[in-house]
Amino acid sequence: MQTSPHATSMPVERRFPLELQKADDDIRALYETAKKAHWNPQTDIAWSAHGLAGVDRDTLDAARRVWSRRAWVEFTGMAETPALLIRFCLEMNRESDPKYFLAVRNTEEAWHVECFHRYAEACGGYVERPATAAWEPVFNRTLYRDALDAEVSIDAYVAAHCAFVDSLELALATAWLESAREPLARAILARCVGDYERHARFGMMYARRRAAAMDEALRGRVATALQRHVEQVEFAGYHCVGLSTEIDASAEAADLARVAAAGLGAVGADEEIAIFRRCVARTRDAFATLGLALPPIAHRHLGEF
Amino acid sequence: MSLTILDAPEARFPLRLGIENKRIRELFHNATRQQWNPATEIAWDELHPEQYDDAHLRAARMYWSRRAWGEYGAISESPALQIRFCQEHCVPDMALFFSIRSQEEARHAEVCWRMAEALGGYFEEPAATAFQGSVATHGIRKMALDPTISLEGTIAALVCAAEEIAFDVFRHLIDITVNPVARHVTRMILRDEVRHCAFGWAYMEQRMPQLTADEREGVRQAVITMIEKVELNGYHSSWLAPETPASSAEVEVDRLTWEAGLGATTEELEKPVFLKSIAVMRERMAADWGLEIPMFRHRKFAAPF
Repeated sequence: MQTSPHATSMPVERRFPLELQKADDDIRALYETAKKAHWNPQTDIAWSAHGLAGVDRDTLDAARRVWSRRAWVEFTGMAETPALLIRFCLEMNRESDPKYFLAVRNTEEAWHVECFHRYAEACGGYVERPATAAWEPVFNRTLYRDALDAEVSIDAYVAAHCAFVDSLELALATAWLESAREPLARAILARCVGDYERHARFGMMYARRRAAAMDEALRGRVATALQRHVEQVEFAGYHCVGLSTEIDASAEAADLARVAAAGLGAVGADEEIAIFRRCVARTRDAFATLGLALPPIAHRHLGEF
Repeated sequence: MSLTILDAPEARFPLRLGIENKRIRELFHNATRQQWNPATEIAWDELHPEQYDDAHLRAARMYWSRRAWGEYGAISESPALQIRFCQEHCVPDMALFFSIRSQEEARHAEVCWRMAEALGGYFEEPAATAFQGSVATHGIRKMALDPTISLEGTIAALVCAAEEIAFDVFRHLIDITVNPVARHVTRMILRDEVRHCAFGWAYMEQRMPQLTADEREGVRQAVITMIEKVELNGYHSSWLAPETPASSAEVEVDRLTWEAGLGATTEELEKPVFLKSIAVMRERMAADWGLEIPMFRHRKFAAPF
């Protein structure tokens, strides 16, 4: 087995006393809402009522690549969320509410994975890997390791990966939904947006809950975690291909343009960058109200965010 | 510090997402259909705690608190298996199913906590520290993350052995529990546990024919260890725990809770269920997998079983 430079050090669990009562009204309410809002991809999506029949082959090929990529992104949660759930359990004195919420979030991510895969199949076939190998490291980031690494602050992790990333995923999916005309794409995205709204709210709620008790050093780690995430992950083109600084994303951008024009649930690469820019600005403002100062982040080609 | 699967680089591509184990995918879909909500689907006002005296209520509170701790173990530990499924490129159906399984375990922890609360209040820890060793962990997290321990052995031990016994005891509890709310809660948990057990057998059915003789022996040893070190140490049944004042107190908790019809069983009633469960498991492992599970010994049983 290839190994990282050092063995990951996980926190040691001390299970008792085990608090299971409500500690955060808002997050517990979010959990209760999530349980009530459960849906079923098999029966709540009209899979046969799609409008793909008249779509030309090239556009369908672009759509299956775009929706396959979404499945790859969503699949990150299949390992990351269980890791984060375990991490919450390992940390001393962590509230029960996030644990419950994350358990539901992971099921929703599984439904999204299955839906994105199935849509790609409907467009002609799911694609199992990027067309060029250069994209693979962009996805292979062992986020599950970071989530469990005792040297990574869980508060910093949640701020970067739940507050910011989940807000970005909500903003992108909302834009895809608004531009979608094809009924099956609309139905899938409408369900996903409902789930993403809760995911994003959880991240900000938890960041808010923890911020008041953070010392200066931890505030700095939170800001650094988010800055690093944006520079190393987002600027590699993980969510928005147009942000990639190392890989020529013109083929992926062309796919987005074609899929967007056909109303199959996408927006162009430039529009995604604009959404990203607004999301960074919103997060910066929201974090500032919590006393978390996000430093300027410079993109090699697009300037300062 | 030893290396875990967290220390290996991620290599998610090719990322297969289609149906590869039909039975496990069906379990995922069935679980999606059969979601339930402890907050709204249990008629809590039919519990009538005022019918019981203080001693029985206190015992039942402790019993349901202990159940909550046990279910919590599946939130804190078992999600590590899902990380393993992703890291080892297991059939995609497994990660999808496990995402909802963890949610069900969270739901079980919640409903047991609610039950303890409705009876007068949840206890955050065992009455005696000495009993923590019996209920704190089944060691699955460590096993799941350890690349030298086979996944097949872990699933066989956790699911096909430990969970199968728990399932049989739960079915027995439905037969003997008088209080309608306690019986309803038990029935709802059992409905989920059916799928949890089925997952293990479906996975092993696919994997066993592909294992070498050494790997098959590893599976056998894992099952034996789970029975001897975890089950016969009182993880699920307090009367099997080492005899100490602490475990005797827990046995008395069970007796009083059973006497009140609020959900527990006693050594006398559970013994035949436990014996039958071990016997059926042994027969099935011999018939389906060709593995000979030895007879076990325990001070509570006059003869090997």
